[in-house]
Amino acid sequence: MNFTSDRVRSIGWISVLVICGAVSIGLTLRVNAVKSQVHDTEKRMVWVKQDIDFLETEFQTRSNQQALKQLNDLEFGYKAPIAGQYIEGERQLAALGKAAGPGAPQPIRYANAEKPEDGDGSSLLAMVSPVTGATAAALPEGADKAAAKGRDPEREAIARDAAAIGKRLARIEVAEAAQQ
Amino acid sequence: MNAPASFSLGSIPTTVSTGRRKLVNVRQRSLLVAKLRTLWILGVFVLVTVGALARITYLGFTGVTARHGELGDLLIPNRGEIVDRNGVPLARDFRVYSLWFNPKAMTEGSALIQSPEEVAARLVRIFPDLDRDEILGKLRAGKPGYLRKSILPEDANKVHALGEPALEFPLEATRFYPQGSMAAHVLGYVDSYGHGKVGMEQAFNDQLISHDGRTKPSVLSIDFRVQSALEDELSTAITLSNAKGAAGVILDVDTGEILALASLPSFDPNHVKPTDMVISAQEAANGDVPHGFNRVTNQVYELGSTFKPITVASAIDAGVVSDLGKQWAATPLHVGRFTIHDLHNYGASLNVPETLIHSSNTVTARIADELGGVRLKQTMEALAMNQRPYVELPARGFPIWPSGEWPRLRTMTVAYGHGIAVTPLHLASAYAALVNGGIWRPATLKKLNAAEIPEGRRVFKASTSARIRQLLRMIVQYGTGRKADAPGFRVGGKTGSAEKPGAGGYRHHSLIATFAAAFPMDKPRFVVIAMMDEPQGTAATSYQRTAAWNAAPVIQRVVPRIGPLLGIMPDETRDIDISDLKPLVPQGSDGE
Repeated sequence: MNFTSDRVRSIGWISVLVICGAVSIGLTLRVNAVKSQVHDTEKRMVWVKQDIDFLETEFQTRSNQQALKQLNDLEFGYKAPIAGQYIEGERQLAALGKAAGPGAPQPIRYANAEKPEDGDGSSLLAMVSPVTGATAAALPEGADKAAAKGRDPEREAIARDAAAIGKRLARIEVAEAAQQ
Repeated sequence: MNAPASFSLGSIPTTVSTGRRKLVNVRQRSLLVAKLRTLWILGVFVLVTVGALARITYLGFTGVTARHGELGDLLIPNRGEIVDRNGVPLARDFRVYSLWFNPKAMTEGSALIQSPEEVAARLVRIFPDLDRDEILGKLRAGKPGYLRKSILPEDANKVHALGEPALEFPLEATRFYPQGSMAAHVLGYVDSYGHGKVGMEQAFNDQLISHDGRTKPSVLSIDFRVQSALEDELSTAITLSNAKGAAGVILDVDTGEILALASLPSFDPNHVKPTDMVISAQEAANGDVPHGFNRVTNQVYELGSTFKPITVASAIDAGVVSDLGKQWAATPLHVGRFTIHDLHNYGASLNVPETLIHSSNTVTARIADELGGVRLKQTMEALAMNQRPYVELPARGFPIWPSGEWPRLRTMTVAYGHGIAVTPLHLASAYAALVNGGIWRPATLKKLNAAEIPEGRRVFKASTSARIRQLLRMIVQYGTGRKADAPGFRVGGKTGSAEKPGAGGYRHHSLIATFAAAFPMDKPRFVVIAMMDEPQGTAATSYQRTAAWNAAPVIQRVVPRIGPLLGIMPDETRDIDISDLKPLVPQGSDGE
């Protein structure tokens, strides 16, 4: 009986070894297959990269500064902008909107139609968030109340500002009118 | 084996126990062997397990390193890339097809399937500029060799369509400069042996072929847009003034970085011709230099009146000039047999701002005389005028530097830029020190990080530098430099027109016209030097050969092009405050 059980155990061990061996060989083959696929992909990547380098160099050569200059001389004739075409800072920008001096011609005025006033009294378009696309001034008030816990003070400030800008502009107009 | 042997001896086993004992011994021995073998296997298993554990632990701690296979190496160029300060490639490796004739491609019979005449005719049809007879000679000779280097892929396809196995087109790595001849003197070129020549290709040769240099591009301080603008305007100026050549450099006054360096006429590093590097003895005698010669760093010139602000700065620094309103005699000055005189007569006396505005030689000489040769020489030495220019390029000219103690006349002539010859780059570094608060820094073609900016050495006091900024601005506003004024950019600078020395003394009709400028003068950021070699008086330059008509307009055209690229926006509402000096000059007069 002992002998038989030893034999059975040996056969068992051998079978386990054979199975493990077979599995490991299969696995090795699979690994090598994947490796060769990776190698092929890498090779393709190298070719593509070399193609990209080639094209990049071609573009750089065709668009080099001398070629662009010749094109500009021939076709466009662009020149470096002069000082008067630049605005540096808010002060210069503000200087453009100076009140007309004495004897200056009347500014040309365009016909316009007033937009019917909304509830907030502003005829200006409300500011739109560039991130969410939400209209800050036109947010429903109920929504604000509903999200009382998660109130966004910044958005509220923008909304208030947008609502009040019409009034501020009106004040400036009034001041200018008084000067005239 | 023992038992049969004992039987053969005729011995009869005496007891059963003897045989059993033997059997027991055999069994014990076998067991021992089995146990030993088991131990061996166990040992091997333990070793393998320990090895595996050690490897796992090693990998766990160190991490798996990236595999640098052969494929990765294919992407690394043979020679590193050179890029400008914004990363735009100026020199790179490029794989091109070449047309190679291999007569052994056909194992039997003649090298070509068609007749050589036919093949040559077809090749000329693909490449019309090929010499048919030369190609025919090569095909008939039956020797392997290039038929043409650098062919386009579509042309390679057309050659392939000829169906000649002997015509091969191997893909070869060459050095390519996408911007053509732009910045050729800065970049240099690579010869057929793969060695860098002339420019940074030579200076950076070891770095460019090292593994580190091949994987990471070498970054220059050059900005290719600024370089292009400078070259373009200098080339226009050459055409307008019919000059022999031109040179220009743009330098960052606070770091010493060179943003553009141009020497014209130039050469194309993609197609270097032997005549680009060597000229005939006849041409050399005529005062010509090869196109590959760098006028900015290798050629020394007497830069004339551009030295006057340096002399004045030295005098202000030394306390010789403390009152800018003081009148100095402006009459011709006789020293020995030599007479120093001005180009025009501006009256019997001039103050310092007027001296610079009218570019008076006599007053500058008198100021230098009072300053003394020792102090003027010290200033020039502090500005490194007695050494080759500080730059990485291999081509650096040694100044013509009067050594020893300077006699009185020498001191006076050096004061207005004669009797001393330096490169335009020396002048650029000196002007940077004049306007940046008084610190001299070496020029460099490498892009510097904030930590790499050299500390430099103080040459002038900050107060002197502030005065010079006012004076340079006044020269452009009221003096000889008016044609350099670019509205809104607050340009300041000084003209310089010096006669070129020839075999029998100075040649009166061969001038070197230089303009050394800095902008914006309320807070100088960049120095711009423009130099014209032998400008001729043409209709475009009002028949004038001096710097005011030839070099100054280059500054006027270059500055508006480069200013906004370098972050200097024009602003006509700003300028340097010159209200304290303005009363000293009656506006409107001019001279050179």
